[in-house]
Amino acid sequence: MAKLLLPAKLENLEAMMEFIRKAAIDQGFDTKQINHIELASEEVLVNIINYAYPDRTGDIEITLTPQENKGLEIKVIDWGLAFDPLSLPEPDTCAPLEERKIGGLGVYLLRKLMDEVYYKREDSRNILTFVKKI
Amino acid sequence: MESKFLLDVKGEVAKIELLGRLDAANAPLLQEELKKLAGSAINRVVFYAKALEYISSAGLRVIIFAKQKMSTNAQVYFIGAQELVLGTIKMSGLDNFMFLQDTYND
Repeated sequence: MAKLLLPAKLENLEAMMEFIRKAAIDQGFDTKQINHIELASEEVLVNIINYAYPDRTGDIEITLTPQENKGLEIKVIDWGLAFDPLSLPEPDTCAPLEERKIGGLGVYLLRKLMDEVYYKREDSRNILTFVKKI
Repeated sequence: MESKFLLDVKGEVAKIELLGRLDAANAPLLQEELKKLAGSAINRVVFYAKALEYISSAGLRVIIFAKQKMSTNAQVYFIGAQELVLGTIKMSGLDNFMFLQDTYND
């Protein structure tokens, strides 16, 4: 298990992504799976960076746990505003481009690309867990 | 590879070469550049994506922005996308509303 704690700022996104990317490589995921893990992770992290701490600075904690079946569990915790990203409606991927709403696409990718996704609110923390299996 | 974009406007066509990654860190910069073109005579936006290795939803939002903010008849072309980038575009359903091509002829 590996853990990383950094302030929720855009300038730290690359370090967080690199932390996750390296673990995915070490777990033996192929290029496409790593790409999917990156896409899902970026969505989760950017949502927190942009919205979790509107009036103060705060942290993001990322815990990576290799799974028995060689998958990877990624747990992202923040101490910001209560927010369940899984409650967002899915975008209409068939809607014409002129009518597409901008939001929701990231969470749609998270749900579609990861094998399991869970959210819970506990002790003033948002805990989003997602798992990619090999 | 260093991520950046190169913008070139000629008449009604805006060409943007995408390099490296288009993600939450740099997509806003591209969006700011495209904002300047909104309301202009641009009716075609051509993204050259051969050197683009990764595009996240932040990058896809810029593509949507290009289509929504240019003229209502604006066409979006996405040229030379790599397999992973193509996969992300198709997953999001945006492939139905842009021209995905290997090459582009003026």
